[in-house]
Amino acid sequence: MLLLDIKNLTIELSTANGLIRAVDRVNLSLREGETRGLVGESGSGKSLIAKAIVGVLNKRWRVTADRFNWAGKDILNLPYEQQRKIIGRDIAMIYQEPSRSLDPTAVILEQLEEAIPAHVLDGPWWKRSYLRRHKAIALLHKVGIRDHQSVLQSYPYQLSEGICQKIMIAMAVAKSPKLLIADEPTTALESTTQAQLFRLLSSINQLKGTSVLLISHELESIARYTQTLSVLYCGQLVEAGETAAILKQPFHPYTNALIKSVPEFQPDLVPKTPLYALPGSIPVLQHLPIGCRLGPRCPNARKECVKTPAIERLQNHYFSCHFPLTGKTV
Amino acid sequence: MTALLDVQQLSKSYRKQTGLFRYRTVQALHDISFTLQSGKTLAIVGETGSGKSTLARLLVGIEKPDAGDILLAGNTVTTSHYRQYNHTIRFIFQDAAKSLNPNQKIGQMLDDVLRLNTVFDATQRAQKVRLTLKQLGLLNEHIDYYPHMFSGGQLQRVALARALILDPKLLILDEALTALDPSLRAQIVNLLLELQQQSGLAYLLISNHLRLVRHIADDVLVLYQGKMLDYAPASEVFSNPQHDYTRKLINSSQA
Ligand SMILES: Nc1ncnc2c1ncn2[C@@H]1O[C@H](COP(=O)(O)OP(=O)(O)OP(=O)(O)O)[C@@H](O)[C@H]1O
Ligand SMILES: Nc1ncnc2c1ncn2[C@@H]1O[C@H](COP(=O)(O)OP(=O)(O)O)[C@@H](O)[C@H]1O
Ligand code: SF4
Ligand SMILES: [Mg+2]
Ligand SMILES: [Mg+2]
Repeated sequence: MLLLDIKNLTIELSTANGLIRAVDRVNLSLREGETRGLVGESGSGKSLIAKAIVGVLNKRWRVTADRFNWAGKDILNLPYEQQRKIIGRDIAMIYQEPSRSLDPTAVILEQLEEAIPAHVLDGPWWKRSYLRRHKAIALLHKVGIRDHQSVLQSYPYQLSEGICQKIMIAMAVAKSPKLLIADEPTTALESTTQAQLFRLLSSINQLKGTSVLLISHELESIARYTQTLSVLYCGQLVEAGETAAILKQPFHPYTNALIKSVPEFQPDLVPKTPLYALPGSIPVLQHLPIGCRLGPRCPNARKECVKTPAIERLQNHYFSCHFPLTGKTV
Repeated sequence: MTALLDVQQLSKSYRKQTGLFRYRTVQALHDISFTLQSGKTLAIVGETGSGKSTLARLLVGIEKPDAGDILLAGNTVTTSHYRQYNHTIRFIFQDAAKSLNPNQKIGQMLDDVLRLNTVFDATQRAQKVRLTLKQLGLLNEHIDYYPHMFSGGQLQRVALARALILDPKLLILDEALTALDPSLRAQIVNLLLELQQQSGLAYLLISNHLRLVRHIADDVLVLYQGKMLDYAPASEVFSNPQHDYTRKLINSSQA
């Protein structure tokens, strides 16, 4: 069953110069127990999408969609309070900026205990505070923090970024969510912990059936831990489908460039030689190119590309490009 | 030839609260020595809390070492000289975004850096700002952006722009490439390699991204709990690590 099913998600910001559309009609769905990767150039709107789903964007952003279903229920048209309740209970998010999401004025113990809802503690009420402490320590162990004594008594600024990130993950899994959205959860971590955390996310996924939306730049980990993949460029979905299929044969030139730019996927790379990269950079939202947004940077662009490509479908593989890399088989 | 950077037996400890009234001393760095030549890249790798950022803070003079010396082109550096070598060593920290003034536009911020550190006039400064933004794949429009208007990866580029705009001799990158998306990272890596070839810029690359380290580092130094383990040319460390910990690190990144 589809747990999350969003159609034409659009996120706009009202500014002095009118509306800016940061995310443009993006479709996104997750089955129960599915792990989906979300990748794309910086500024392409990944974090905005994640924040829109959990409803933490501030009032200046306008979020609209043609469909927003959660566990088969239309929550787009529910009163705000009820939306919040469902999302607060079922969806947890690990933010990109750990130090910004932890309260600098409280010790970790307080923050972690606060994140543990009563319903996950099974025991009589008079044992609650003991159980809660126990659970807090267990959560730290789970994310690979062995030295729980000193960490629990620390303020966030006393800990390294990496440890803060692990604590964030502990807080997110504390409520046993149905969907875990992880926004670049391992950026600040060293490779041993990175591997450990991806394994952790994947074991939460497998043991508890938690769906995971994984936003990450680590294509290697995306390849290993996700079943499906959505690729964004400049606020639009450019490709989506099975992760393995996309990585093996991308249809869209942006996806292709993304894969080729990763040294992990280039076994014969000579040290200190240039990596593959598209020229130029992602346009600002105020000055979007006409037609395909990759146009000015695309090695395959032709004059047809001044027309915006529509999303096309080949079996389970979606893409939006007039000249897919497989040749015009559609 | 004197090395651009020569670090001798550097040590640093912190007092850390472990209970309400209990403190414990954490030896963040212990007896660290290395050298870095112009035009070369030294990578520092190690797990969280191994002391990498502490080392960076000591090198840029934000904190003082308990013991040891830092020599820059043969001259001992002390914290009071910080302004003087501000040009030579530039750095980008892990939390680059936090160090940007939220109320200042990016163009203004970069202009200030030039105004305070160079003799450029307004036109020259504007030109340099535009050039630097372009080098880093940012656009002219971004001059009027405030920090909160950028995404995480874009902010990292802004921080790079601020560091590179003074044409430094040594750039310290504390996990500054990790947060970038791969295509952007490839662009920046290419830019860094190009700058290194053209102007002999040296890099101290603090990174856990071992595949990237392998691609751009000449030497690798492995830190573990504040101590040096392997310290050798990159190809040697990767093909023939001397310590179990290093082996584990390399395997975990390949597994
Ligand atoms: N201001 C401080 N007060 C107390 N302890 C500190 C302080 N700064 C650093 N430490 C301690 O020094 C050790 C090294 O910290 P550092 O931040 O340099 O680690 P790191 O290797 O860079 O970690 P990460 O990769 O997660 O950033 C850690 O144990 C840390 O908790
Ligand atoms: N407060 C804001 N004002 C204007 N533009 C913004 C703001 N926040 C984000 N943006 C823009 O929205 C786009 C998407 O940002 P984000 O979701 O953070 O990207 P990422 O994919 O890197 O996570 C970017 O072009 C960014 O510049
Ligand atoms: S539509 Fe044209 S410009 Fe856009 S990605 Fe495809 S080939 Fe490139
Ligand atoms: Mg982001
Ligand atoms: Mg650090």
